[in-house]
Parts: sequence; C-alpha cells; structure tokens
Amino acid sequence: MLKATKKRFDIKILVANSTVSETFELEKNIVKVHGVLVTSDKDDLLYYRGTQKIEINKEEFFPDNYESKLLMSGINVAPKQRYYDLGGVAPGNGRVQISYKDLDDGRTVFTPYRVSLYLDCEMEDEL
Amino acid sequence: MMKEGVIIKTISIKRQGERKHFQIRLPKDTKFIIGVEYGGRLISRMEGTVEVPAPKAKAKTDAMVIEATHSTADSGAVRDDKPKALFKRNQLVGELKLQSCEEANWFYAADVFGNDANLNWGDFSQAGFPVNDFTHGNKRTEEIVKVDAESTIINGWYLDALGKSQKLDINYEIKVYVWINVEE
Repeated sequence: MLKATKKRFDIKILVANSTVSETFELEKNIVKVHGVLVTSDKDDLLYYRGTQKIEINKEEFFPDNYESKLLMSGINVAPKQRYYDLGGVAPGNGRVQISYKDLDDGRTVFTPYRVSLYLDCEMEDEL
Repeated sequence: MMKEGVIIKTISIKRQGERKHFQIRLPKDTKFIIGVEYGGRLISRMEGTVEVPAPKAKAKTDAMVIEATHSTADSGAVRDDKPKALFKRNQLVGELKLQSCEEANWFYAADVFGNDANLNWGDFSQAGFPVNDFTHGNKRTEEIVKVDAESTIINGWYLDALGKSQKLDINYEIKVYVWINVEE
C-alpha cells in the first residue's frame, strides 16, 4: 500500500555569500517525489538572499541561481497546496542534492541561519 | 517525451533609467516556451550622487486615503479624524518585455513590482506577527505563455523605473526565468 510522507533535510548557512552543497538520501521504499518546498528559521534571509540548485537522482530540477523565494509558501497558502508540484518524480537512486548559495541583498543583514528542504513523497508501506 | 526545464537570465542594472537589451539562448531541443516569471535582488541601495529633495510633510502622493462613507452618528462610533484606510502604491521596479524570433511583437510584457505593499490589508492581528511577503506571501507560479522556440533565441528589453523614480543610481539584479518544453 502506498502512503504519503514528508521528508525534511536541513543545511546551515554560517558564512555570508557562501555556497553550501549537501546530498541527502531518501529511503529505499520511497517511490515518488511529488513536491518540493523550502523554508528557514529566518524567512527573510532565505527570501531575499537565497538561490539554490536542486537535483534528484542526478537530474536537475532547479538550476543554479533559482531564487528560493520562488519555492517558498507563506501561511496564507493552504497546507495541502504549499509544495511546488514536480508531478511525481521517480527518485531513482534516492539521492537528493541541494546546492544553496547565499548572496548579499541590500534589505537584509546576515546572521547564520538554517535552510530546510521539504519533500512531499509517496512511499510503500513496509507492513 | 516532453520535459520541462527553466533557463535563468540575470540582468544587472546600475544606473537610473538604464535600458538593457539582452538575449536568452535556449537549448537546441527546445520545442516551446511555456512560462515566464521574474525575481530580483537589491545589491546596493545608492551609489549615485544625485540629491533627493526631502519629502514634504503633507505630501501624500504615494497613498490614497479612503474615508468610511457612513456617518459616525449612525454607527455610534467616536470620530477620531484619522484616515480609515491607506492603500499604498507598490514600488514599480521596471518594465520587462520579451520577444521571440518566431513572431512579431512582444510575447511577454510586464511591469516588475517590488513587494506587495498592501499585503497586510484586512489583517487585524498584527501585534507580534507582522505581515510580510516571506511569511504571508502566496505561492509563486509562472505566467503561462505558449510560443514556438524553433530559433532558440529570445530577445529581451528591460527599462529601469526604480532608480528613475528615486533619482538615484541603484544597483540591482533582475532574474528572468523562462520555462521551456524540451523534447527528450
């Protein structure tokens, strides 16, 4: 039986104007990735300063310099509609790579922050 | 099989009223342009030396005051002579236009605006949780277009309005996202 599950992966941005790349692994029983969402503990820094590249199974879904604000949803968006729809991607080897770039913006002052990548997945029930 | 992809073009603006012509190259296997969206980043607020006159205290050029039309006597409310509502004009950042080599005229034209200045309208619970684009903003989606992409080049044009309106050289970037359909 298939069931919906949400996965969260965190990266820390400790230095201004730096790039942080990390690769995460999904469980083997995940069969589809339906959506993607990014949030942060300091939303304004993510919104104004962030860009990222996201790859799943070595396939690039969002290229370098794709602004994080385009993948964010505010609390005015219904919870079931917050994820950016990828249309049910097969995860392949299950490796999800995010390459996040922080860039100065005149409206913000840098302070270390966390970026969270959420994936809306479908997994096979282990039972 | 058709696959979606996105091409990003960064336009750098440094002078007030700057006009930029640019080209966006698409991959050779592109079949259609299916959507356009944009974003921006402020690099530095002012690099110009032009002096901006101090705003006059009573000038309200950027806001429209709307008074409630019902009489206070009817409602029983005490009149406080404060404006009941203020609509703020969104900051116009520039004009963006895109043209395909396949067809005459622009296929995309947009006024590029900054943050939504009236996002907090109708919200009466602002104590402690101010309304901002990054907390209360809607999900962004591309504007849908459908244009042939046989020639794989898009011509673009951008005109600064932010620096011009503030009479300053403002250094900022506009990113144009062109969503495409690619044949695998």
